Amino acid sequence: MAEKHLDWEKIANNSKFLELKSRKRNFLFSWWIVSTIYYLLLPIISGYFPGIFRVQVIGPINFGYLFILSQFVVAIGVAAYYAHVANKDFDRLTKQLLEVLN
Amino acid sequence: MKKRIAAITLALSLSVCAVATLSDAPLAGAATAPQASAPAASLPAATVALPPVAATAIAPAKAADASPAKVRPNRGITIGMFALIIAVTMGVVVWAAKKTQTASDFYTAGGGITGFQNGWAIAGDYMSAASFLGMSGLISLYGIDGFMYAVGPMFSFIAILLVIAEPCRNAGKYTLGDILSFRSAPKTVRAVAALSTVTVSIFYLIAQMVGAGKLMQMLLDIPYRVSVIGVGALMVAYVVFGGMKATTWVQIIKASLLMTATTVLCILVAAKSGFNPVTFFTDIVNSSAIQEHVRLNVLKDAVAKDGVNYGQRFLEPGLFLKNPLDQISLGFAWALGAAGLPHILMRFFTVPSAKEARKSIIIALFLNASFFFMISIIGFGAALYLTPQGIAAVDKGGNMATLLLAQFMGGGAGSLGGDIFLAFICAVAFATILAVVSGLVLAASAAIAHDVYVNIIKDGKADQQLQVKVARITSLLVGTAAIAMGLAAEKENVVALVALAFAVAASGNFPVIILSLFWKKFNTAGIVSGLVVGTVTALSLVMVSPVMTYPKKVAADAKKIVETLEQKQASGVALADMELKALEKSKAEYAKNKEGTSMVGLDKPIFPLKNPGIVSVPIGFLAAVIGCLLFRDRRAEDMFAEIDVRQNTGIGIAKASDH
Repeated sequence: MAEKHLDWEKIANNSKFLELKSRKRNFLFSWWIVSTIYYLLLPIISGYFPGIFRVQVIGPINFGYLFILSQFVVAIGVAAYYAHVANKDFDRLTKQLLEVLN
Repeated sequence: MKKRIAAITLALSLSVCAVATLSDAPLAGAATAPQASAPAASLPAATVALPPVAATAIAPAKAADASPAKVRPNRGITIGMFALIIAVTMGVVVWAAKKTQTASDFYTAGGGITGFQNGWAIAGDYMSAASFLGMSGLISLYGIDGFMYAVGPMFSFIAILLVIAEPCRNAGKYTLGDILSFRSAPKTVRAVAALSTVTVSIFYLIAQMVGAGKLMQMLLDIPYRVSVIGVGALMVAYVVFGGMKATTWVQIIKASLLMTATTVLCILVAAKSGFNPVTFFTDIVNSSAIQEHVRLNVLKDAVAKDGVNYGQRFLEPGLFLKNPLDQISLGFAWALGAAGLPHILMRFFTVPSAKEARKSIIIALFLNASFFFMISIIGFGAALYLTPQGIAAVDKGGNMATLLLAQFMGGGAGSLGGDIFLAFICAVAFATILAVVSGLVLAASAAIAHDVYVNIIKDGKADQQLQVKVARITSLLVGTAAIAMGLAAEKENVVALVALAFAVAASGNFPVIILSLFWKKFNTAGIVSGLVVGTVTALSLVMVSPVMTYPKKVAADAKKIVETLEQKQASGVALADMELKALEKSKAEYAKNKEGTSMVGLDKPIFPLKNPGIVSVPIGFLAAVIGCLLFRDRRAEDMFAEIDVRQNTGIGIAKASDH
């Protein structure tokens, strides 16, 4: 198989690869950490500051309900944004890298 | 050999038909193999003559009529729908079996699943009957706390999407062992990874089997043993014959049924309030039944306290989830645990590229989020239209809320619409169980057949035919073992098993997957110490946590009931029949449990949290890092360039284990 003879070290030091890798890492880890913190705010606020959850916003609908709903919105939002960036940037960079290699 | 497996599996499948048609023939011979090893053989199943269902007879549910508070699905319609699901899925199996020739076909459907299909299959693999029935029940009894509980499983896909799916697709082949053994001592790592995969999958599987058995028992009024064997035999048939292709399509079918059922129910509930959320929640807050339920049953205020709006309280936190630290700990398990579940990981190998893996997880996340949101509407709707008291009367844990709501929305008990809708929801729950257990059996057998047999025992030198044969035999054995364990665990506390599965996945698997993919220095010692320490820590913390059963506590609770009732008796009040029964039962329970200790010999929990995540996840990471730094490995560091390039770009995809 051709893959066996690839010089991985050389690809790993290719400037295109380094660009792809650092952009991916920065994007993925920062969004992962931000969204996980946002998710963990849910048990933290509801457990330690339940008063905030009780604030009524629209009729009987309180902040707590809206905050839980926002978790769904954030999850879908992060996923959609990631798909956008990955399709636009990461896939393009990967393609460019493959072209350079061949 | 293949024929022999085929024969055994066929016998198992036939037994399912026997169960499904509920003929009044004694069921003793219906499922021979699994029963032999089952300690539950003394159950009365074989002697119970089930009422015959003739082709035309729509038999009314039998004797159970005595207790009024019970879901009674129309048997004829329900069985018809179950039979339809079995027929369709079996058709899929026959089709898939013809296309399953190589190991890659068996484990990953030859990588020929599209991202869109895989997205539905992941959702089908992940949304369990526990969510479909249990979550809505929780919301109908405890309001917003139940809704909060649903955020965890929804959010757990974020970690998979961002840091797991694509790298694993790029660097892996069939199993967790493939990803981890890349630049480490392959045999050692594969053995440990296989052990961890089997542990997680079996815990999860037993919990699902017991849940399935109880659910089918309740829905169809058939004995526990028959339902476990029936579900188990179908699951074995799907996996053994159809491998990943059949499992995938069973999951896709299930996910579409589940989404359809949930959407229809949710729209019906919303329509009743004119699609206006403010009206909907105002009605809930003003419902006198909900107010009374919150006051009496949940908060135990005999007299209404001044200034407390008990209706509004239903929409405020703290009715069900009491310990904040426990919630944060559970949050850890959700946020990281799903990403370490082997049967979810395995799904990413069925698509041809990282781009498709990304697409599939985004679709799964969207389906999953919509599902849990709609479940919340169903739960609140059930509370509003059926009252929490009505739901709790049928099942204390609220597990029948979705079913009751379907019956109500279809036109009520006894009406044709109600019967059909209820039967449909029962069938959806059935399909749900089948899809989830099949995925688990496949993951566990892949670890044993691919990692242990092919790569450790045979040094990776096995031809395709042998690999598929071994995979089939392993699936048959794993499936049979799961049936036996499901039967043995009837009375066990399965909540602890699910907690265990997620805790081990989050503290054992997740740290080593992440570090293998992203940390240059990571090596064999780190993988082994991370997996072992993470798993052992999680296991032992759960063993001494409050989720286990503590007989002394059971005895104390029973004693309280006995004392209360005896006091009542002593004061000259005659006890009602039900109270007398309760007294009898509690006395027996007290006598049985007063000297007992928990599984590890404890009187009361040592670790205060139900979920060990907040402690065991950091320990898992720490152990992996320390183990790795203690035994540095130059070769592993040199090989990082390869995995780094592979996981980021997909170069050399799926040839990962040829190195």
